[in-house]
Amino acid sequence: MKICFYPGCSFASSAGYKESTEAVCRKLDIELAEIPDWNCCGATVLFGENKLRALALSARHFVLAAAMGFDEIVTGCNACYATLRKSADILSEDADLFQQTKDLLKIFDLELVAIPRIRHLFEIIDQAMPEITTDKYKDLPVAAYYGCQLTRPHQDLDNGDHPSMVEKFIEKIGFAVTEHSAQTACCGASHAVIHKDECLPLVQRIVREMEGKGAKAITTVCPLCQFNLDQNQSKDAGPYLPVTYFTQLAGLALGLSPKELGMNKLLVTAAKVLTRS
Amino acid sequence: MSSDGKDNPFSNIDKLHHINRCIQCGTCSGSCPLSDQMDHAPRELFALIREGSYEEALHSNTPWFCVSCYACMVRCPKEIPVTDLMYAFKETARDKGSIPANLKMPHMYSSFSRIVKEFGKITESYVMGLYGMRHPLAAAKNMPLALKMLVRHRLELKPQKTAEPDFFARLYALTEKGKEKP
Repeated sequence: MKICFYPGCSFASSAGYKESTEAVCRKLDIELAEIPDWNCCGATVLFGENKLRALALSARHFVLAAAMGFDEIVTGCNACYATLRKSADILSEDADLFQQTKDLLKIFDLELVAIPRIRHLFEIIDQAMPEITTDKYKDLPVAAYYGCQLTRPHQDLDNGDHPSMVEKFIEKIGFAVTEHSAQTACCGASHAVIHKDECLPLVQRIVREMEGKGAKAITTVCPLCQFNLDQNQSKDAGPYLPVTYFTQLAGLALGLSPKELGMNKLLVTAAKVLTRS
Repeated sequence: MSSDGKDNPFSNIDKLHHINRCIQCGTCSGSCPLSDQMDHAPRELFALIREGSYEEALHSNTPWFCVSCYACMVRCPKEIPVTDLMYAFKETARDKGSIPANLKMPHMYSSFSRIVKEFGKITESYVMGLYGMRHPLAAAKNMPLALKMLVRHRLELKPQKTAEPDFFARLYALTEKGKEKP
């Protein structure tokens, strides 16, 4: 299977998301056809600055993907997912903005014709992963952290506030599931970097809830969620749970080593909880 | 015309009419992770605009504390697109030159946008570097984290770039709006 992949700006420098995605996709025979010369989607910034500019940043990829012969774009970042999807929605619903965006891209010899379906990498890997029945990790309880922009605002992949698809995935690939109430609680997103003091309680609420319910590790589906939860924990105070990517769990379940999955890049080390007797 | 004697500065927002459905229940405010930082919780901002207190609404810090989590939007019983409106309020405040000067997020956003304009792609260390020029104390506080990232080969010292950076400078120029007088 071949997918049209939009990595987004945080993919390569994140804590092993790239390594684990590429390794797992090789195992699962998924070919990542990267959009050539992709650009920043604008994230949560550009729509608050200039709507037409934001639409053009997304729509450039819609043209490039169509030229590759795809009608779907897959990304592994919640912010990219929500932003590309927001653009796709607006361009599908608003004929006037579609025309303005089309005219704007035409200046650069880009012909906007079709609006692709936007999908999250989790959907693809979830579907492709076989059931893993070995007992190796069945005593390792993992808490799923969805962040905000995967199930909201569309709520069509799963329930917006209390989803279950990542829990089902964790169970399917041979880990134990920790049920908890912070699945889609906000980590502060980009505000957590600038307003650290104001957002630290948000992260602490999430990690404490997970630890209190028995989790030994967290798994995420978004680079910014991973970064915020990972970098705001302290070895000296409070819970200290490794924050993995779902692709790293998938890789472990498929027998890949933590190193191959880039897990040495996590700030809170996962080595302790992964050691099996 | 309004109570403070000016035309509605938000009238260009295509989804603005939705706020007329607001029943002031406060579900948005109760769902918001950062409403305690806001001058006005979302429903209060809607009430201000409805009653014509445009100046106060234009200078509110509220949209700048919206983290885009969409919790309010999916819970609003009247299906008001609250998050979408927050984006539009930010764009309006920028167009009208009414962004409150004491806020930090607008500086982060403009640093981010400048890197997109320059390179087409974001490199976090460059965004934070630009932001740090305006907030040196914050930059100094981030150094330990930067070191931790460096040790784990995650601090990018070279910028990510697209093959055609001119596209972005031109796109920005073509979409630049004339600054209106406040």
